[in-house]
This record gives sequence, structure tokens and C-alpha cells, in this order.
Amino acid sequence: MSKIIHRIIAFFILLIMASVLILTATNKNSDNTSIPLTFSAFMDGSFFRSIENRFTMNFIERDFWTSSKAKIESQICEKIVNDVYINSERLLNADISYSPFYESNADIVNRFAKENDCAVYFVAVPDSSGVYSDILPEYLTDDTEKQCIDTLYSRLGNNIRRIDAYNILKRLNENYIYFRSDTKWTSYGAYCVYRTVIQKLGFQPSPYDKYTIEHVTDNFRGNLWEKSHYMKSKPDILDIYNYNDGAEIVSCTGLDNTLHSCRKELYCRNAINSDDMYRLYLGNDMPLVQIKTSVNNERKLLVIKDNFANCFIPFLIQHYSVIDIFSPECSVRNIGDFVNIGDYEQVLFLFSTESLGNENIFSSLTD
Amino acid sequence: MLYSSLLFIYGFLPISMLIYYITKQKYRDGVLLALSLVFCASNGLRFLFFIIFYTLFNYLMGILTDIIKKSGTSLEAIPLFAGITADITVIFMFRAEYMSWLRNTFGFPDDFFIPGISFLVLSSIGYLIDIYCGRIRAEKNIISFSLYTVMFPKFTAGPVVRYRSFLKINKNKKYGLSEIGKGLAIFIKGLAKKIIIADTMYQLYMAVNDIDIEKLSSVNAWLGIIAYMLCLYFTLSGFADMGTGIGYCFGYRLPNSFNYPIFSSRIKYFASKWHIQIVRWFKFYISKPLYKITKNNRIRRILFISVWCIAGFWYSFSINGAVWGGLVGISITAENFFVRKKILKATGIMYTFFIMSVLMVFLAGDSMLDSARYLLVMFGGNRLFADSISVYFFKSYIVVLLISMYASTDLFRNMILRSGKSKLKTAFSAISPVIAAFLLIVCTALISYSGFSDMILLKL
Repeated sequence: MSKIIHRIIAFFILLIMASVLILTATNKNSDNTSIPLTFSAFMDGSFFRSIENRFTMNFIERDFWTSSKAKIESQICEKIVNDVYINSERLLNADISYSPFYESNADIVNRFAKENDCAVYFVAVPDSSGVYSDILPEYLTDDTEKQCIDTLYSRLGNNIRRIDAYNILKRLNENYIYFRSDTKWTSYGAYCVYRTVIQKLGFQPSPYDKYTIEHVTDNFRGNLWEKSHYMKSKPDILDIYNYNDGAEIVSCTGLDNTLHSCRKELYCRNAINSDDMYRLYLGNDMPLVQIKTSVNNERKLLVIKDNFANCFIPFLIQHYSVIDIFSPECSVRNIGDFVNIGDYEQVLFLFSTESLGNENIFSSLTD
Repeated sequence: MLYSSLLFIYGFLPISMLIYYITKQKYRDGVLLALSLVFCASNGLRFLFFIIFYTLFNYLMGILTDIIKKSGTSLEAIPLFAGITADITVIFMFRAEYMSWLRNTFGFPDDFFIPGISFLVLSSIGYLIDIYCGRIRAEKNIISFSLYTVMFPKFTAGPVVRYRSFLKINKNKKYGLSEIGKGLAIFIKGLAKKIIIADTMYQLYMAVNDIDIEKLSSVNAWLGIIAYMLCLYFTLSGFADMGTGIGYCFGYRLPNSFNYPIFSSRIKYFASKWHIQIVRWFKFYISKPLYKITKNNRIRRILFISVWCIAGFWYSFSINGAVWGGLVGISITAENFFVRKKILKATGIMYTFFIMSVLMVFLAGDSMLDSARYLLVMFGGNRLFADSISVYFFKSYIVVLLISMYASTDLFRNMILRSGKSKLKTAFSAISPVIAAFLLIVCTALISYSGFSDMILLKL
């Protein structure tokens, strides 16, 4: 009896293994990331790791398996799947740890402000797990984003004007200010902070009713969904805020790391048909984006930012003649290779707390 | 490459089996060795060359020991000493943090580690001692010897069988579809232990670890350490089962490594059912020769505890591990003194579980101070019995906690064994292919995102 059963097990399992192997090997949606074929790659094992990685990425019906993982894990243990906390309302980042680099990054900003004769403004934006921390399990909220921001702000010099985005967003967290499936804020969240930021920069904010809001898509799945593949989470809406009868963009150009310029758009609508819909705002990341507007006040602003700021930038259009946007994450060169900081009277730093905890985020600001 | 990776389960294993079984029987050992070298090479050619050199070195030391012993010059201790020194250096090099400089000298990065090194070293040392003591002759066939050291079904998690036993297993290989089926069933059981239970317990343990020790309630501390113990048990026994199962697939009937130790009715039963071959190895190669020195019972007891210290050190390569081992040794000695021969089984299970959980704090801790603080919290040091996080943990993990506790007992196995030819056994046999396929699918889903499961508490 047991021999027959064992033979049946062998037949079934070997059939499953062989089918999966053949289907994976012939998977048309193949991931074609390059496999290193160097001597050192063979020696240190990175060649074999790349093969393993490619096998995983090409695994047959990968989306089905990963979404099944989310279903199973959310049933048998904590509702945390691949470091994403699953809640009926939203997905939140559960990989929360206190970075030791806030102080050193604040020191770099201090040096930047000291070396350059311009007014420096600083906005640290919490990610969704900071604003909705009360949803997270209690043990995950010991090192809150508030503490991270407080640490950073207390280290910044007195000549730097800090803007408290955390409390603004926390107060408004009943509204659709953060994506349900992403760590980032929505355009409305960015607008809420913009009202305070722009006043600090010396302008009156544009009233909300002056904007026409265009829902570009209601099928946006953000970075938290990509990690967890939790099918029950609701997709998000990507909005464009069009200012009626306002200033227009005269030109928008991007500069890559070879200092070649290309035409850019404030909104890249093609991104809606791609895997990364968030590229709707400012398109592909580039070290520098230069926007010239029809505003006639000769005011120039330098924004140093991470991709959190991408949906914030459109709100600045109504106030400046020139807005230059520098993304340190994308740059392998020093900021001085792209812009002359002396040309700007105001510099706005706008980063998420996650980026601010990154050791090398400001490496292109140092010599 | 780990056993618990998609590439291994759906790539390396079926292809290896295909190559193995289309080869003529007399060449299969050579093919299995070649496949094992490919398995080692998946960690980089540097590691492969290192393993080849390591195997050749022990092979030569074995032959030298044998030749010198045969010549009667009484110098056979020299190659034995050289071999054991090199083996111990290798295990320290890969396992001890403070020996990372030596790792770097060989070109391995700081965090380089391959599961299985500790088993490999014990096997090699045992082999050399057996030759020195005249229990076996040195193996001249390099393929047979290399299979003993690097054969991939036993490379990652043992079992550490003695060379003589390995030769018997090799000689009595059994082929056939039913052997493969049995092997795959054991492999999937091990995979499920690792991925469904051990990984979930790992998450619970890490969640408890995330809480500041000063805010930790007693209930959470107990939950954390029980999760640690279950995770450790299911990881080690899961990998061991996977190895045993793969062995069966290639005709090798490797022995089991664990025999349901967690809910033993005495500490000494726990110790004898925990990592059976490892405990036996320390008993056979260290305790036994030391016992021959003296017949004084007190000294023997001290030696017994000391050997447990060494075994504990082997687990973690830290003082904490040695203390854990020493305390297990002391507990067994004390139990022999103080616990009556006849006690209720339930009482025995409870006190064994309680003491082993408390001792686990030492194996889990990074330092003695950490362990002492954690112990204090377990017994109410923070004056906080339970909190809302305890409720959250219970609600989140209760299903897997209960499953893991039931799976730690031999209740189900005994029920099937005692059922004889009853309908229950027939029904279970009939649905076992479906259960195996179901568990394989669940495990595949659970590792589908990263492609592997590498949540390991102790890197052995």
C-alpha cells in the first residue's frame, strides 16, 4: 500500500516540478536583466545569484504566486507581507527603523547653507506610515517618523527655515492625502503642504477652487502594492491639478549626467500605460529639470528634492519665472556641474524622511 | 543555493535526478559528486576550490594517518593533529566573527557564510579520529570520500553520520519510484516545517525583538523565547528532513536528525532526541575518550557538563552558546539527582518545556547581559505582565503557534503507527499525495517573492 502511495507522490510531485521548470524556462514574459559573465562574478558567486534571481523573476505566473503569498500570510500570521502592513483601508510600510544618518545629512545641509548666500528652506515629509502610524501595530511605532524629523530639524542651523509638514498632514489625515498603495503623498497632500511652504517663501498660495482637477487614472498601484501584491487593496487615483487662466510653462528641459539636455514635460501621460505610473509627474528622473514659466517676476527657485516632490512641483509654477529642480539621487556629479547656486535667492529642500535617512543622499552636495 | 529556494526545488533537484537516473548505475556516485560540486559552485568558484582543497587535505591526512599507523612508528598523531587543527581553523574561520580576518585572507567577504560548514567539519574530524583509533581504514577511493564530505543531500544540514555508517548507506542504496516518492514526501515535510512554521515563528521572534526591552511585558518575553525555540527546532529539523528526503531521492537512506524533542517528559530525553547525530558525535568523540581517563563520578559529571559546553559553543560560537550547553548539562545532571524516576508524564513535559525555554534565552542572546535582562523580564522584571501587543501577537500568531506545538509532538505519528491497518491509516495514505502537492504549492507561494527563504537563527 505505502509503496503505491509513494509512487503516486513521486509521479505527482515530479510532474509538478517538471511542468514548472519547463514553463518557467519557456516563459515569454522573461526578465532579461543581464547576467555577469566576468571572472570575478564566477569566483564570488554573483553569476549564480543572478541566475537564481532571473529564475525567480521569470517564475511562471509570478504575480499569482506572490498574491497568494499575501493571502496566505495575512491569514496565518501578522498582516505584514514583505515588510508591508496590510490594513483594510491602506497598505503601510512596516520596515521602520531609525537611521543613524539624519544628523550627518543635516550637517551637510548646514554646510550648504553656510557656503551659499541664499535663503534655505527645508521640508521633511513623512511617508504614509508616519502619518497613519496609529494603524500600525504598536510595537512598530517606537521610532516614529516624528522623532526622526525632530532629530533632523533640531540639528539644522538657525539660518535654515524649517517647515512642519508632519503636523499639517497628520491633522488632515482623514482626507485623501496619501496613496493607499504607496508610501507617497497624493497631489492633494502636496497641495496642503504647498499652502504653508509658499507662504514661507513669500507668496500667497493659489486657492484650491482655482484648480481644475483631472483624474488621470484610478488604477494606480504603488510601491507598497508592488511589494505585497495584496489584491484586496484598492487601487489609487492619480490627479493633475490644472490652474485655470494661470501662468504657463514656456520651456521644460532636463539635463542628464553627461550634461546633455532633452525636452521634458511636467506631466508624462504615457507613463499611465507603463509599470511605473507615478512617472506621470515629471517623467523619468533626471539630475536636473529646468522649468521656465510665463510668470514675469524674475524670481528663481532651486528645488533640491527626491521623488516625493514630483507632484508638488506643479504648484510652484504660478509663483516663479524659473524653477530648477535638482535630484541628488539621480546625479553622479556635483550640483555645481549643473547649476550656479549663487544665481538663486531661495533654495528649497524637499525630501521624504526615508530619503533623509539614506547615508549618501546628499553626496552630490559635498565637494 | 539553499534547499528552500525556487531554483533548487524546481531547477537543480529535478534536473539532478534526471541526470542521475539516466546514468548507468556504476557511474552514479561520480555523477552525484559532480552534481554536489555544482551545488557548492553556486556559492562561487572560490568556495568550490576551497571545498575541493579542504576535501583533498582531509583525504590525504586520512591516508597519511593510516600509513604511519600501519608502519608502527607511533607518529600517526601528527597527521591527525594537523588535520584536526586545520578543520577547527576552518570552522572558526567561517563561524566566528573575530576570525573574519582569516576569511578575508582567503578572499571571502566579511558576511560570507555557507550553511553546512559546521556539519562538514564534524564529519571530517570524526573520520580522521576513526582512522587513528583503527576503527576504519583510510578511504582510497577519492569519489567515495568526497561524497562523504560534500554530497549535497547532506551538505547543508547533515546528518553527521560516521564514515562506516555512510559506507553502509552507500552500499545499500535503494532505487525506485517508491523511494523517490518517499524522499519527496520527506523533503516537502521539511520544506513545510521551514517555510510555513519556522519562518512564521521567526517573524514572531523578530517582532518581540523589535520591542524595547524596557517596555517588554512578561507574556511577550515568553512568547518571544518560545517562538525562538520553535523556530530553531523547525529550521534545523526542516533542513535535516529536506536533506534526508533528497538523500532518499538519490537512493541514500540517511537517518533522521530529530525525534520530537520539544515536548519530552525529561530533560535528558530532550537532549537525546535533539539533533541526534550531533549529540552522539560529541558523546562518541569527546565524552567517551574523556571518561576513560577517570572512573570518579564527580569528575565524570564535570566532564559531561564540559562536553555540553563545547556542544553549545558549536551552535553559536559565543560564550552564550557555551553557557547554554553547560546549563543543559547541569540540568540533566541535576535531573538525575533530584527528579524521581516515576513522575506524571504531564508534569515531566511541563518542567522540561519550562526549563528548556528558560535556557534557550542564553542561546538566543547576543551577550550574557542581554540574556540576564531578558530573563528578568520573563519573570516580571518590568512589572508588566501583558499589554495590548500581547493580545495582538496572540491574535496574529495563535494558529501557527498551535500548529507548531502540535507538530512538535509525536501524537500524530503515534496515532498513525498505532492505527495498524485501520481506515484512518488508509484514508491518510490515500490523501497524502494531495497533502504533499498542497504543501508544495503553499511553500512555493510563500517563497515566490524573494525566491528563497533564508530566515535562519543559527548559521551552522
